[in-house]
Amino acid sequence: MFVPSEPPPPRRPVAYAEQHESDEEKQFRKVFQQLAGEDMEVSPTELMNILNRIISKHGDLKTDGFTIENCRSMVAVMDSDSTGKLGFHEFKHLWNNVKRWQAVYKSHDADGSGVIGADELPGAFTAAGFPLDSQLFNMIIRRYSDENGNMDFDNYIGCLVRLDAMCRAFKTLDKDNNGTIKVNVQEWLQLTMYS
Amino acid sequence: GPANLPGYVRDWGVSSRIYANRLRAEGMGSHEQAVKFSNQDYEALKQECLGSGSLFEDPLFPAEPPSLGFKELAPYSAKTRDVEWMRPSELAGDPQFIVGGATRTDICQGALGDCWLLAAIGSLTLNERLLHRVVPHGQSFQDDYAGIFHFQFWQYGDWIDVVIDDRLPVKDGELMFVHSAEGNEFWSALLEKAYAKLNGSYEALSGGSTTEGFEDFTGGVSEMYELRKAPRDLYRIIRKALDRGSLLGCSIDVNCTTLITSAFDMEAVTFKKLVKGHAYSVTGLKEVNYRGRMERLIRIRNPWGQVEWTGAWSDSSSEWDQIDQSEREDLNCQMEDGEFWMSFSEFLRQFSRLEICNLTPDALCEDSLSHWNTMKFYGTWRKGSTAGGCRNNPNTFWINPQYKITLLEEDDDPEDEEMACSFLVALMQKDRRRYRRQGQDMHTIGFALYEVMRLSKCALEEEFLLNHSSCARSETFINLREVSTRLRLPPGEYLVVPSTFDAGQEADFVLRVFTEKQSETEFHCSLQVSVYGSSQLLVPQSSLLTTYCITDKDLITDGFSIESCRTMVNLMDKDGSARLGMVEFQILWNKIRKWLTIFRQYDIDKSGAMSSYEMRMAVEGAGFKLNNKLNQILVARYAENEMIDFDNFICCLVKLEAMFNSSTVGGHDEQLIGLNFTLFLALTSFS
Repeated sequence: MFVPSEPPPPRRPVAYAEQHESDEEKQFRKVFQQLAGEDMEVSPTELMNILNRIISKHGDLKTDGFTIENCRSMVAVMDSDSTGKLGFHEFKHLWNNVKRWQAVYKSHDADGSGVIGADELPGAFTAAGFPLDSQLFNMIIRRYSDENGNMDFDNYIGCLVRLDAMCRAFKTLDKDNNGTIKVNVQEWLQLTMYS
Repeated sequence: GPANLPGYVRDWGVSSRIYANRLRAEGMGSHEQAVKFSNQDYEALKQECLGSGSLFEDPLFPAEPPSLGFKELAPYSAKTRDVEWMRPSELAGDPQFIVGGATRTDICQGALGDCWLLAAIGSLTLNERLLHRVVPHGQSFQDDYAGIFHFQFWQYGDWIDVVIDDRLPVKDGELMFVHSAEGNEFWSALLEKAYAKLNGSYEALSGGSTTEGFEDFTGGVSEMYELRKAPRDLYRIIRKALDRGSLLGCSIDVNCTTLITSAFDMEAVTFKKLVKGHAYSVTGLKEVNYRGRMERLIRIRNPWGQVEWTGAWSDSSSEWDQIDQSEREDLNCQMEDGEFWMSFSEFLRQFSRLEICNLTPDALCEDSLSHWNTMKFYGTWRKGSTAGGCRNNPNTFWINPQYKITLLEEDDDPEDEEMACSFLVALMQKDRRRYRRQGQDMHTIGFALYEVMRLSKCALEEEFLLNHSSCARSETFINLREVSTRLRLPPGEYLVVPSTFDAGQEADFVLRVFTEKQSETEFHCSLQVSVYGSSQLLVPQSSLLTTYCITDKDLITDGFSIESCRTMVNLMDKDGSARLGMVEFQILWNKIRKWLTIFRQYDIDKSGAMSSYEMRMAVEGAGFKLNNKLNQILVARYAENEMIDFDNFICCLVKLEAMFNSSTVGGHDEQLIGLNFTLFLALTSFS
């Protein structure tokens, strides 16, 4: 039905990870260390600064910038232990997705407007791995697009990050794979309040 | 933050933790269902190697310098120069896994300060059943040999199965670390390697206490007694521990926290042939009639199987002539077997410390042994929400996690007139050894206990904790992995408050409570998620997008962002119009006014924003009684620099109320909410 991004690989001992990184990964780790500062974790504010710095270099992506609220939400859905920050592996996962989805965004912006219009949206989301039904697409447009039905880049990424996380969450909790999950009120509030 | 989850969970976010808890409830992590470390399956990997005719090479703990260490054993350091990795078959003509049973002499220390670990392995070899929980049967260099071995350790509540290959670090033709006195026996060196893998590197094992090893091999809980200040009922404690099949070790202190290159440095023999810095086992207690009075004796064993105490009550001492012959024959064995008696009072003088590792019921096979009732809780301290620090931090102490225990029955001990229940509280911080290479170390941790008034039903709060003193506490706050204290209190209800010494220090922990008799425990208020007050959301239909702002000067806010407003509109709007009409807006407005009053009421320090503990009270004031986990989540999600400003406060409450209400949409089945994929996405992704 949907293709959320790959689950994270098994965590490897740090010693191993650092020894066996490709040059690109080494480069990425260096950048991460600069971004994340001493605690080696990325806060929502740091994430916002990183993302905004990147998009400022891409004139063809229309956006009013990533807001702190959007970034908080993205961090929350990736965070496993409620520290409110992202570690190296979580950030890398997020980063790879952003890169992939950015390519999808550009290729589906058929009219070159810099935004994803309501008519372009189902194609783009399907290509990003989320072939949803029209009811859900309509909900996405209502929640994340402007009054004219256009979705800009920051809303697009924020939406996909949450969608991806929630699809994985559903898959994780749907242990017998029967298409429904059961959660208690506790679990429900944890899932929804931390997103 | 970085996932700090058992290896069987492969996902991120809240759902992964929920999933882990569910698996645990189904028995994952028990000894019978050990968790596969990094998902490596021993049988599958072994069959794969046998099928391809190759020897296993572990990609996750490679035969490379970083597996050795990071500081003294760092790559390119003097100590690791010219290290080669060799398989036992390259080191010995006829390698064996175990020769003639696992014994103390199989464990000779190498170039690593892990004597604490080796002493624990030594004690373990005395109990074959316990040993083979750690060292599974059926491993050898002969049958189905594929260069792969596995071991099982207890880690913070779970049993973990660790797979390794048998390439061992060798320097100048000899094993660098643990080796066996028999040159061709390798179980101890492989066990050490597996434990090093679990902890990230060999060097991570440097420095520790025997109790850590005891616990990781048994899942038990350790107590440590300084014999200079032994409790008055220590004799009774030891007797009960022996009755329960606990592991007991004693030692005479010398420091052994640095890298030590020879056993000679740490083991010095006293005048009466007791070995300093050496781990002895306590194996028996007896009272004998000696010169008309009862003399208390203790039996001790030197795991070397030789070198015995030569003072009073030793094997051939004259004291034995003074007691009844039948009793003497019963007790006194004159063999040089490493085991000897001494008087209990002499024991207290000669030895410095006693360590008792109490086994949990699953580790005991004999039903006749009385055992502790055990209870286990997993918790976290998070900056701003639950990392309150110790009592010295009066503003935040009460936000620490709290656990209620109910002691129902006092001990039945005829010798003891006091009406009291014995129990043991053990607080363990998780995973700190693994972070050592990042320069982190143990936090200073401890706990306090408070008596709960009979009528009080709710979590103890600031006022109570400030106005009452604790009725018991951990002996100290200490920077060890675990702090455990034995307590005796009258039957009743108590609240355990575990904390770090300083506020704001983050860690995960396991709290274990062991009682001799029946008792009850609960994570305080954990099961209550209740909404009181009117909270039903009315959802009228209309179409008008509205934003608004608050201009009061006593509130800190950076204004309602468009993002926040989108969320609120979506939560209030169920007709799909993406707009709020007059009526809906008025409902929202009334809510905001109500919550503004609450915000002001609980902004105790008039800072214009909610500190995390003001937040906790305010949320409760608004009608939501949440548990610690949820309080933690609200702070992680809505606080900036540990403060929640007004717009975030309102967003949080709008969402909390909406989500609480939506928990009824999917239909209930014994308090479970059932959701299909579309409904789940609709509720979670679009608010």
